[in-house]
Amino acid sequence: MSIVALYSIKGGVGKTTTAVNLAFLASAEGRRTLVWDLDPQGAASFFFRIKPKVKGGGRALFRHRRALDAAIKGTDFDGLDLLPADFSYRHLDLQLDQRKKPKRQLKRTLKPLRREYDLILLDCPPGISLLSENVFAVADALLVPLIPTTLSVRTLEQLAAFLDDEKAKKVPRLLPFYSMVDARKALHRTTMDSVSDQGLPVLNETIPQTVKIERMGLHRMPITAYDGDEAVVAPYRALWGEVKRTLSLP
Amino acid sequence: MSPPTIEYAIPATVEHRALAEAIAAQHLCSENPPLRLSRRIYDTFDWRLFAADLGLEWASTVASGAATDAPVGAFNGIGMGSSRQTAPPASASPQGSAPAQLLCLHSLRDPAAPIRQPFAPEPGFLSELPNGVVRERLEGLLDIRRLLPMAELISTQIRLRLLNEDGKTVVSVVIESNRVRCPAAGGEADLSARLRLKAVRGYRHAFALAERWLQEQFALEPADQHQLLEALRGAGQHPGGYSSKLDYRLDPGERADSAAKAIHRGLLRTLEANIEGTRANLDSEFLHDLRVATRRTRSALSQIKDVFPAEEVADFKERFAWLQQVTGPTRDLDVYLLDFPELERRLPPSLGADLKPLQELLAGQYETVQADLARALGSRRFRELLRDWRGFLDAPLPSAPGGQPPSEDRPARPKRALQPIKRVADQRIRKMLARVRAEGSAITDASPPEELHELRKSCKKLRYLMEFCQSLYEPARIREQIKQTKVLLDNLGRFQDTAVQAQHLRDTAESAGCLEGGLPPVTLLAMGALIGQLIDEQRRARAAFSAVFDGFNSDANAARFDALLGESKAPQPSAKAD
Repeated sequence: MSIVALYSIKGGVGKTTTAVNLAFLASAEGRRTLVWDLDPQGAASFFFRIKPKVKGGGRALFRHRRALDAAIKGTDFDGLDLLPADFSYRHLDLQLDQRKKPKRQLKRTLKPLRREYDLILLDCPPGISLLSENVFAVADALLVPLIPTTLSVRTLEQLAAFLDDEKAKKVPRLLPFYSMVDARKALHRTTMDSVSDQGLPVLNETIPQTVKIERMGLHRMPITAYDGDEAVVAPYRALWGEVKRTLSLP
Repeated sequence: MSPPTIEYAIPATVEHRALAEAIAAQHLCSENPPLRLSRRIYDTFDWRLFAADLGLEWASTVASGAATDAPVGAFNGIGMGSSRQTAPPASASPQGSAPAQLLCLHSLRDPAAPIRQPFAPEPGFLSELPNGVVRERLEGLLDIRRLLPMAELISTQIRLRLLNEDGKTVVSVVIESNRVRCPAAGGEADLSARLRLKAVRGYRHAFALAERWLQEQFALEPADQHQLLEALRGAGQHPGGYSSKLDYRLDPGERADSAAKAIHRGLLRTLEANIEGTRANLDSEFLHDLRVATRRTRSALSQIKDVFPAEEVADFKERFAWLQQVTGPTRDLDVYLLDFPELERRLPPSLGADLKPLQELLAGQYETVQADLARALGSRRFRELLRDWRGFLDAPLPSAPGGQPPSEDRPARPKRALQPIKRVADQRIRKMLARVRAEGSAITDASPPEELHELRKSCKKLRYLMEFCQSLYEPARIREQIKQTKVLLDNLGRFQDTAVQAQHLRDTAESAGCLEGGLPPVTLLAMGALIGQLIDEQRRARAAFSAVFDGFNSDANAARFDALLGESKAPQPSAKAD
């Protein structure tokens, strides 16, 4: 079982669209897949048409296995489940801090699901917080969407530095990839070139900025599940393929 | 925690499209494009999965005639396109994606919640399956047997999704028409159509409502057997129908020649069942079972004495001895190669790897001996043996005494042919027991290995006799005596097998190929060390023999045999009872 987090310090970089599409592609291959929508905004839950509501809120999930089992919902796709968002997740840092070993609560909570799923995707809220440290402790890899702009690259460097400081412990693999790329923009092109020159390890596959992806909210499902346009779907498939190869998933 | 599934049988009179329309008319509903699925059902030749209440299917969609080229999403409900929904039709292409071939391991008692493992190549040996949940579950079940395709279930599905007010799927409905094909024999047959109502996790209430509505509207009956079982039977398979174990139900009063023929017919069925698997070398157990059936046949021919005409017995014994001989070299190599990890373990870790060239040499010889074996099993001599033996067994029994004296055309009937089988079995078991005791008692510390080998052969004959005639005796008693005999056989087997292995190693080292540099010196040295290990093991088995035989030859065991065989006293030990 693998745990991959869609994570970025910055918001609005394409975490959720990537999470739901990769989750769909993984389950389409027969992998038992769970998405945990950790963002109180509940965008992943929205894409799967599932109410962003968890009985007892985040506190119950970290306390009771039964609450976790009861909260998981099947999506419209066989083998793809969702642990929905809840507005109470905005207080997760506080709730985690009140528990013993506050940085390992997510790991403890997910442990019983290891036999039930082949892949767990964590759709994380932006920022760097106690919840983020929980994610770092449990994830095998951080898939970090990177809009090719100066500020985005800077946050990636901040994240890399933070994880470097954690070197004594097991840290997840950092897998940045370019997201919302607009090849017509000179800034995007030059940023990508400069990152490449600096030798920062960014995945090869990129997700372009397209109107179709923006319109995913209207369909409320992963674009890979309904759109036949190869120009839109192929990048997600290619990215998923590269992630699998990088993580040596079967 | 898997959501429930209910399977209903759809009566042949119900038109599937009309059924789907009726459901859609009463529910907020969406329809996925129809799907054609091919599912091959696998088990071992001796039905190990079925015996464990399991069914294994290897699924792929049948798209444009390509059975293995499954489109992305084939297994998870892609194709959300619907005339009733806003989403456009899906056309996700499989370009560049791995074929979604999926192994599903079902519990035959529960239609829901199969264990699923993606990216599985066609099942074969367990060691070839990629790591995953299905492989984990099958560990310990298959041993060295290969999974074989037993049936192919071909389904066409109408797939409906019942939706809530958000357009979210809350229940899945599959209306499925099914056919089955036997992969070996070909030919297709219809199977029952099914309606599968499947809950979506977290939406149990909607499932309960749909279940009640379906019952009220259509009064469908739940399917009475698991679909995999129905498919296996529809393909002409008999799940659980093969076992190499002896399980005869003999009538104690039945005349001995008739009972002996029943025993031989059972052995012949086992032998014939394993011919094709042996020729194709599907796994090593086919040849093993074929050889055991042959050995048992020879043993029954010689041990159930004086029930068939002596000339025919002699002829068949000779011909089955030929069969045993031509199947020997391949079996020897099988044993060698199967035991190889054990041989390596016998050596210190630093020497284990030195044996690899020997393993490669043996594997290289395999093709030749297997080809010889396949040729022998395809030969006229073998076909004629089976034909003549079947003819002999199916020929009517000679009639009971009618007063006519024997003549040239009508030779004298064998003296025990008409005796009740129980009497013959009692007498034969007593004789073999006496022989085992006599031969064992004669063995001293100075006896040559050949005497232990002879004792082992006698012991096997005793065991086979008891197994053939098991149903004639009180079950717990005969089981116990077979068990006691096996204890002695295990000791003798350990002695003999280590001797054979050591000799085989010596022969291999001295063979022409090796003398000409076929094996590197380090391998020859490792083989020498191994021979030393085997001789030690043989010595230990030899040292333990006296105590093991004393247990077998004890008064307590003799009393148990007496109790088993009835009042009459067993004959006194003699050097040769026959």
